[in-house]
Amino acid sequence: MAEKQLNELKKGEKGKIVRITGNSSVFRRLLDLGVVKGSEIEMKGVAPLGDPIEIKIKGYNLSLRKSEAAGIIVEVQ
Amino acid sequence: MSSEEILKLRQEAVAKLQSIYGGDADMVIADARYGFISGLLKDVLKKPPVERLSLSDKIDKIIVNRWLGIPIFLGLMYLVFQFVFTLSVPFMDWIDAFFGWLAGYAANISPDWLGSLVADGIIGGVGSVLVFVPPIFLLFIAISILEDSGYMARAAFVMDRLMHKIGLHGRSFIPMLLGFGCNIPGIMACRTIDNPKDRLTTMLVNPFMLCGARLPIFILLIAAFFPENQGIVMFSMYILGILIAILMAWIFRKTLLKGESGHFVMELPPYRLPTIVGVLTHMWERGKMFLQKAGTLILAAVIVIWFLSSMPWGVEYASADSWIGHIGNFFAPVFAWAGFDQWQASASLIFGFLAKEVVIGAMGTMFAVEEGLLGNVLATQLGWTPLIALSFMVFSLLYVPCVAALGAIRSETKSWKWTIFTAVYTTAVAWVMSVLVFQVGSLFV
Repeated sequence: MAEKQLNELKKGEKGKIVRITGNSSVFRRLLDLGVVKGSEIEMKGVAPLGDPIEIKIKGYNLSLRKSEAAGIIVEVQ
Repeated sequence: MSSEEILKLRQEAVAKLQSIYGGDADMVIADARYGFISGLLKDVLKKPPVERLSLSDKIDKIIVNRWLGIPIFLGLMYLVFQFVFTLSVPFMDWIDAFFGWLAGYAANISPDWLGSLVADGIIGGVGSVLVFVPPIFLLFIAISILEDSGYMARAAFVMDRLMHKIGLHGRSFIPMLLGFGCNIPGIMACRTIDNPKDRLTTMLVNPFMLCGARLPIFILLIAAFFPENQGIVMFSMYILGILIAILMAWIFRKTLLKGESGHFVMELPPYRLPTIVGVLTHMWERGKMFLQKAGTLILAAVIVIWFLSSMPWGVEYASADSWIGHIGNFFAPVFAWAGFDQWQASASLIFGFLAKEVVIGAMGTMFAVEEGLLGNVLATQLGWTPLIALSFMVFSLLYVPCVAALGAIRSETKSWKWTIFTAVYTTAVAWVMSVLVFQVGSLFV
């Protein structure tokens, strides 16, 4: 199974988070919102101007910038 | 146990976690917490085998669609403005008529000076402000609906790329939008922006958003000097304010407030139908500030204006010999390059510092005419051309925010330095822009 950065996922693709890297303020916020290792994640789409992206995690919708998503490594299913 | 001991225990625990799991302690705890939750859910929760698309997801498929997202956003903004400005017209006419009637009635009070204070000063002044209650409250209704329905988060989502480019944040968009109603709630709404530099930048440029209080200046001058192109001139005032805000935000983020922009990790809540009670509550929470302003600051301002216009005792009301005439004369030369170096213009702008809507009221008082005739008086008595009127409008749009908005900046930043900075730099920008408009315009007219 291939590992990808979250921002590289195509619309509708699903995956499982393998690890999270990146700067600490984003990292904290992601943890608080339940974006942790092992979570299932689905790419919902990209904003009309190409950034940020919308993902589905733990049953709710979350938006984050592509640069922030790049720190989330996902194992594509 | 003392605080040092607790901290020491904490450090030991963190070190222990890190030595066992090798990762960040925050991460380990979050992992364990969500691990426990998902284990529990496996035991107790049955999910339908195929996840069906919720209504919210279906709406999102259209609203933030690659192609439709921007048109829908612009369409909604257009609808909001139509809703606000079309619907408010009859209400504004009624309020205007009511205060006209009341002032006519009060003018009979004797002695004469008291009649003048009540009719010209208090009723005229406060009335000219209360006329703006309908559009401002309607704008707050519209914004509450957008917020309660869940669209505001999508608006931030759609706009973030653009806002991020100019050094702001997707969430800066909402305070800027609110600023069109009144800068005070706009400035207060900056609280939702986490990153301190994003927040401060958004606050500093918020006063360039053409607030409802500045509308009367433009409505009156545009009707008098640009009768053929009212819509387009009004629209360009809004655009100019936005462009200057963007430009200044960009400059601030490159110079004074350099640094990384905050993250954009935000929940997109499910769409909900707003409730009437919820919308009205939000409208009232935001709008009552405007009413308080009318009852306190503006009431005080109009009495001060009336006093300055009537002193020294026995002088002709608001003439060049009155105190206000002297003050206006003192500042008038500053505006020579901008085309409006008459004492009436600078005096009314000084009053505008108390509240922008007072600019027109003060002029009305100084010429002792009804607002409807003021445009003609400016053209005949001061020799104003459309270009001078435009230069004056540009200055009124951009110069120092009203004292209440500055108060909001002070209480939100907790800093006199940034408050004074805002007052000074906005006025400098206004002066430069109005001189530019007048000088460049003079080449063509």
